Amino acid sequence: MTAMKIAHPAGTDSSSLLDSVNALLGEAIRSSSDVESVLQGTLEAGVRLVGGNRGFLALVNHESGELQIRCTTGEGWSDETRRMRLHLAHETHRGITGHVALTGEPYVTGDVSSDPYYLRYFDDVVSEIAVPILGPTGQTRGVVNVDSPQPEAFTADHSAALGALTNAAAVALTMEGFRARESALIEIGKSLTNTLEVEAIASKVVQVAATVLQFEDCSVFLVDEQTDHLVLEASCCLFSRRIGSTMYHLGEGLVGWVAQNGEAVRLDEPAKDSRWRSTADVIEDQEVGPFLAVPIVGREKVLGVLRVFRRKTSTPWFNNRFTDTDEKILGTIGSQLGAAIENARSFQRLVRAERMAAWGELSARSAHMIGNRAFALKGDLDEMRFLAEALPSSEQQMEVLALVSSMENGIERLEEILREFRDYVVATQVTVAECDLNALLKETLAETLPKRTKVTLRAEYDGKIPTLRCDSRRLNRAFSELIENAVSFMPEGGELFVGTRLLTSEERAALRLPHARRWVQIEFADQGPGVPEDVKGRIFRPFYTSRVKGMGLGLSIVKGIVEAHEGIIREVGAPGDGARFLIFLPVES
Amino acid sequence: MPRILVVDDEEDVRAALKRRLDREGHQVSAAADSAEARQLIESQSPSFDLVVTDMSMEEADSGLSVLQDALAQDIFTEVIVLTAYGNVANAVESMRRGAFDYLEKNVPGVDVYELLAMKVQQALERRRTAVSTMRRLEHLAGRM
Repeated sequence: MTAMKIAHPAGTDSSSLLDSVNALLGEAIRSSSDVESVLQGTLEAGVRLVGGNRGFLALVNHESGELQIRCTTGEGWSDETRRMRLHLAHETHRGITGHVALTGEPYVTGDVSSDPYYLRYFDDVVSEIAVPILGPTGQTRGVVNVDSPQPEAFTADHSAALGALTNAAAVALTMEGFRARESALIEIGKSLTNTLEVEAIASKVVQVAATVLQFEDCSVFLVDEQTDHLVLEASCCLFSRRIGSTMYHLGEGLVGWVAQNGEAVRLDEPAKDSRWRSTADVIEDQEVGPFLAVPIVGREKVLGVLRVFRRKTSTPWFNNRFTDTDEKILGTIGSQLGAAIENARSFQRLVRAERMAAWGELSARSAHMIGNRAFALKGDLDEMRFLAEALPSSEQQMEVLALVSSMENGIERLEEILREFRDYVVATQVTVAECDLNALLKETLAETLPKRTKVTLRAEYDGKIPTLRCDSRRLNRAFSELIENAVSFMPEGGELFVGTRLLTSEERAALRLPHARRWVQIEFADQGPGVPEDVKGRIFRPFYTSRVKGMGLGLSIVKGIVEAHEGIIREVGAPGDGARFLIFLPVES
Repeated sequence: MPRILVVDDEEDVRAALKRRLDREGHQVSAAADSAEARQLIESQSPSFDLVVTDMSMEEADSGLSVLQDALAQDIFTEVIVLTAYGNVANAVESMRRGAFDYLEKNVPGVDVYELLAMKVQQALERRRTAVSTMRRLEHLAGRM
């Protein structure tokens, strides 16, 4: 810490005061200025101007409610006294410095031995003067304190002179705050344009926001479009161990409210708000102080919420509430974040589409080559069967024909796998056209249900379903997979229920489907063994199978087709009580 | 004896097709790509009764150009197109352009050679009917 050289004559004449203030302000507003050096300069000029022998400058830590010594001058300071922090929590033990910090008014005493506030740190002190450093909205940023061994050493003129100097310190502190904000915003801007991963963008923002606004926690929540859940994407502090988990539903809690309404919320005591939802497992309600949450806005909708809050201060005399400026800055970060997230998402979609195209090309070629090979083998077996029939001994003939059948079965399995593989690859390539869902379902049932089966069909079609935009060939494939599944799990017979329904808005809400659209529900329910609880999470993944047929891509093909239609599929049956698949398809508004 | 051209870029496939159609009593020639097929089609006299061609060879729709060459040579030549599973769009297009039928090579559980033999019979039958109708018309025209 280097002190500034401030030239001034002895005494408190106005020209030396002007010189000092001038030099300090000049340093404070220089872009290369070092705030520590301005603070040290303020203190030293102050001690000289008022003729004291020792002094210190302390700043308020608004998070902890403590006064912390930042600079000292004069004799008698030890490392221990420098580290001293004056706690402002106790009304009785706060000393003259604490008193000035709380009142925001200068204080002068000519005889510390009879002073009600004075706390003794040095033996030689007789007079003391303390002046607050006030911030732009009048809140105390710190205190300058000067001692003297003379009685009645300080006057009202001295406090006015010190006040002028501390204003220069206040300018330096305010400028430092602005510069920190500016560089943080520039850094966010840079990282937002350079980064193409949503996760990295979100964690960068919470890190940088920490240097702009002091807080206990900063978190980014993003809306999961499928479920309308708000998932914690990044958090710098308290909530970091909950990253990746669902925290709120849309509309739930203050965060959910911001996501649903697209408006910021700023509260000094959020836990008293009717929308508040406690997260007492992370932080107790009574510890949560000022709260600020802004929407992360994309081109068309709210993508998520950026939330910060502070811990309640231990001292009731300082407020650490968020200001209008804080809200504006966080709002700006929220919009930048929104644009960056959309940018990253569209880039990822592009990469995925390219990868799928390359993968599709590769799969189509290999499937074609394997198919041709299988076709040639079938030709050889056809010939073998023909030649076997001409064999003289019927025993030999039987043996050869048994082998031929076994090989033909093998090729049939192979072709089933090929078909499934190909369906899996093309599941997401949909070409939509107007389609009558009920007619499509009836057609699929007629094609797919075996002619002779012990399974009985019960169907309910909702005549109010509007025409959908969909790929009827792909949906046919998805429906037939579910029908075949149901039939194969009821070898001893049972009822297959198939139904369609246009959901009411209450049903949509109860099912937690995104509210922006109307939804059609298609249900397939059987009376087979159902899906055991422990595999429910896996059935839609590739290669899951409980049947010998194919390669276990069936349900993932169904899911791929449904999702390519921006739909949702769920299995909701009670284990042991039959499987119940619900497909939800959006209706174009 | 009906004369058939088999077009496929895979030797095993050509051999299997040829063997089965030979067995049915047809006279079978084979070509390995659409260029060779065109050469054979153009040099043949009288023209082939039937062409059995793969759809996807050097191009994904090579079968369409074989179809075009066959019909350009003789409007009554029948064409059956073989397709891989899922290539319905090209199959439908070949029907629109005048193919007799298309056949998927890899339908699980379907005896595709038996099916092919049957379709070949039907196609040859249609050609015979068409040619004899034409002859009768020419004959009538000649007498007038």
